[in-house]
Amino acid sequence: MQTATEQELVTITVNDQEVRVPKGEMIVESVKRIGLDVPIFCYHPRMKPVGMCRMCLVDVGMKQKDGSVRVMPKPQTACTLPATEGLAIYTDTEQIRKDRKGILEFLLVNHPLDCPVCDRGGECPLQNLTLIYGPSTTRFVEEKRHLLKAFPLSKYVQLDLERCIQCGRCVRFTEEISGDGQLAFLFRGALMQPQTYELTDFTSRFSGNTIEVCPVGALTSAEYRFRARPWDLETSPAICTECSNGCSTWFDHRVGEMIRINGRTNEAVNEEWTCDKGKFGHNYLNSPKRLTTPLVRDGESLREAGWAEAYERILAVFKGGGGAVAGLSGGRPSNESLFLWKRLFTERFESPNLDHRWHVHLPGAGETVAGRHGIREVNTPIAAFEGMPAIFFFGGDPAAEQPILYLRVRKAWFRNEAKVIVAAPEPTEADNFAYCVLRYRPGSEAALLGGLTRLLLEKAGGVAGADELRQAVARFTPEETEVVTGVASGALRRAAEAMAEGFATAASRTLYNLPNGADVVTALTNLAISAKSADRFNLFATEANEQGALEIGVLPGAGGLDTRGILEGCRDGGVRALWLLQCDPFERFPNRELARQALENVEFLLVQDIIETESFHHASVVLPCCAFSEDDGSYTNMERRVQRVRRVVAPKGHAKPSWKVFSELELRMTGETPPFSAKEVMGMLGSAAPQYQVSAYDHLEGEGVILPAEGGAAEPRLALPDYDAMEGSRELV
Amino acid sequence: MIKEIWSDVVKPILAGLAVTARRLKRDKSTVFYPEEQREQYPRTRWRHVLTRYENGLEKCIGCSLCAGACPARCIYVESAENTDEERYSPGERYAKRYEINMLRCIFCGLCEEACPTGAIVLRKDFELADYHRDDFIYTREMLLEKMPVKSDR
Ligand code: SF4
Ligand code: SF4
Ligand code: SF4
Ligand code: FES
Repeated sequence: MQTATEQELVTITVNDQEVRVPKGEMIVESVKRIGLDVPIFCYHPRMKPVGMCRMCLVDVGMKQKDGSVRVMPKPQTACTLPATEGLAIYTDTEQIRKDRKGILEFLLVNHPLDCPVCDRGGECPLQNLTLIYGPSTTRFVEEKRHLLKAFPLSKYVQLDLERCIQCGRCVRFTEEISGDGQLAFLFRGALMQPQTYELTDFTSRFSGNTIEVCPVGALTSAEYRFRARPWDLETSPAICTECSNGCSTWFDHRVGEMIRINGRTNEAVNEEWTCDKGKFGHNYLNSPKRLTTPLVRDGESLREAGWAEAYERILAVFKGGGGAVAGLSGGRPSNESLFLWKRLFTERFESPNLDHRWHVHLPGAGETVAGRHGIREVNTPIAAFEGMPAIFFFGGDPAAEQPILYLRVRKAWFRNEAKVIVAAPEPTEADNFAYCVLRYRPGSEAALLGGLTRLLLEKAGGVAGADELRQAVARFTPEETEVVTGVASGALRRAAEAMAEGFATAASRTLYNLPNGADVVTALTNLAISAKSADRFNLFATEANEQGALEIGVLPGAGGLDTRGILEGCRDGGVRALWLLQCDPFERFPNRELARQALENVEFLLVQDIIETESFHHASVVLPCCAFSEDDGSYTNMERRVQRVRRVVAPKGHAKPSWKVFSELELRMTGETPPFSAKEVMGMLGSAAPQYQVSAYDHLEGEGVILPAEGGAAEPRLALPDYDAMEGSRELV
Repeated sequence: MIKEIWSDVVKPILAGLAVTARRLKRDKSTVFYPEEQREQYPRTRWRHVLTRYENGLEKCIGCSLCAGACPARCIYVESAENTDEERYSPGERYAKRYEINMLRCIFCGLCEEACPTGAIVLRKDFELADYHRDDFIYTREMLLEKMPVKSDR
């Protein structure tokens, strides 16, 4: 969030109309305040202006003392002209119109004009502006330049150098926004061309955005290549469910098929970017392996069946199943589906065996961050990271786990000089802007956190109950920590220095996959509490609706089995029937052998999924379900923001929304009126889990809403984990 | 009485026949369709054809501009990339699927006007009646011009 300091206003005139604008604002933005637009190519509101294309020329004058206006003889670029008192701007003079025409003519001299086969045709700024401001015919009769065409810069991005107008947006994106700096300009003048180094692979995690910022068809998507023209497509708002960040997207579809995904502006979450996973990772929606109809097992093989028959078989096993039936889900179903599913299990089947977690450590109710320390696991909205003076990335590669958060944090550094401390066992993309990098040996996480805690306790002092902790970490002097973790003591001190004033923690729940994950999470929480930063502590979810599953409580009930327990139960016969809701234990569970034994031995396996998975082959009954684009619903992202998704395309075949399947099963068991729409289900969820009252569909437009914090602010409690490094990390020296 | 029959019945009949007799001398304006067919006006717009270049390559580049221009929204184009092994049109792109729903077409010719390569043209074949709705979806194969006869080179 931008600090809302009082900004000095100045008065400028635009086409003789007075307007008050913040001093120093670029004129290209100022004119928008009175509903005007200057044509642009290289300017991008989220990047620094460079004035490369000259398209935004305006006439500029200065108010004189006697009130007259002295107009300068030459036009200036509006994107690099800051507003000052008394500036007079003319956007539509005869001369300016001529200038624009000239600029466009020059741009088109080198442009192949292959619009009919260009994927950008129809939504191309160069095409549009030429139509509005440009010449209608060309005077250029000479042979055009010939350069690289459709060169695959990466699996996703294709470069057509003939079409490039050298605006530098793509280069600036990789320098200013994504930070990988993989594109650069080669050569000078007319020969200038954006390229990766020696045309090596463009491996950025955010490469897809350059396709969208490119104002011509020079960078195009390999996946979308020739698949449709913009006017063939229907465009609907959606959100991305590839990770927990929950970017807003445009979902472009044609005759019921997903064609491409673009970023949609949501200032609170993704601004306008998406990562490549989000942009190119949705091909499974069109996969021939999509499940389209219920299947039931007859002997060795599965055969197609109606929903009624499938329901019958399911209820025969699950109804009244109690502790002998169990359910495992992933973090991908919507809030509505998860809620009804949980209700089905706890109230109708009376089974407490329910889980959505797949980590090595599955903390019980008292062992979570909330249970152990009395603080919330997620406290900081993505946008709030922008204003954080110090940010502590811990554990993994943030660009891979939380791509959009990573962009925000980088922006915090780029714009506001935030100090970013990156602690990870491997090189990460955040290293290149980190204030300090703590590269520890795998296994020594807890020790590193112990060392930091010791330094911070020294500096911060006065945290309740810190004495025991102080003793526990006393041995982790910076020097000892260096021996154990491999992090130089100087770096540790420097990090502690930056964190002493308070810092935001950004880690993800994948920490629970460490062999001593529970201890590491406790140590991390202790660290935040020691620096009085518990209100900025974050242990983020990594799957689209993992946070929702946590909030709704898709977790083992009293005496219930967790994921490991359920799979063991399946193997040993304690659990007779298992319901897999959009998850594949083969892929998800750390111990593949146990997953195999469980699925082979369980008597009745119900697989409900979008697509054929490995578990599918063991199923007794298979139910197809809808993807996020085929169903109404909502998702809770990692910052606890609930966002709405709508049915954009029809479900495949006979697939039904999961929540509907659950409500139909309930109807068969109870005869009570079931909920008829996802909206109704959300209402019921609001009464069951009160934090969801704010997300009734009527309030769920635009950016979505962040769930309110439940309960009073309890005093954060410290806990004592095992700070020892795991065996072996010392030997790795 | 006879006089009245003469003036009210016979005379008008004869007058009518006289007109007919006079007209018999003129050229006929009807033709024995379908055995005979009349020459059509040069700008008549009926059935579409996807034309080819002389070397047999398709002119259509699958750009979908015709689909965009069509007010009846009756054209569906899906394109794909030419390869050297499988080349349909001269450039990078060709129409993999091209369909016109003739039941919706209003024969306005805007598609022809929009086409940048002159691929889709409306020609004079107007005998488009058929028995089943499905048969009115003209596919790319139906619309494409016959391959020009190979000259012996
Ligand atoms: S590739 Fe596109 S974004 Fe990059 S410089 Fe060329 S025109 Fe600009
Ligand atoms: S003639 Fe008119 S209505 Fe028929 S396909 Fe062409 S543009 Fe469409
Ligand atoms: S017929 Fe012409 S306008 Fe239509 S897709 Fe082919 S080339 Fe484009
Ligand atoms: S937009 Fe101002 S110079 Fe390019």
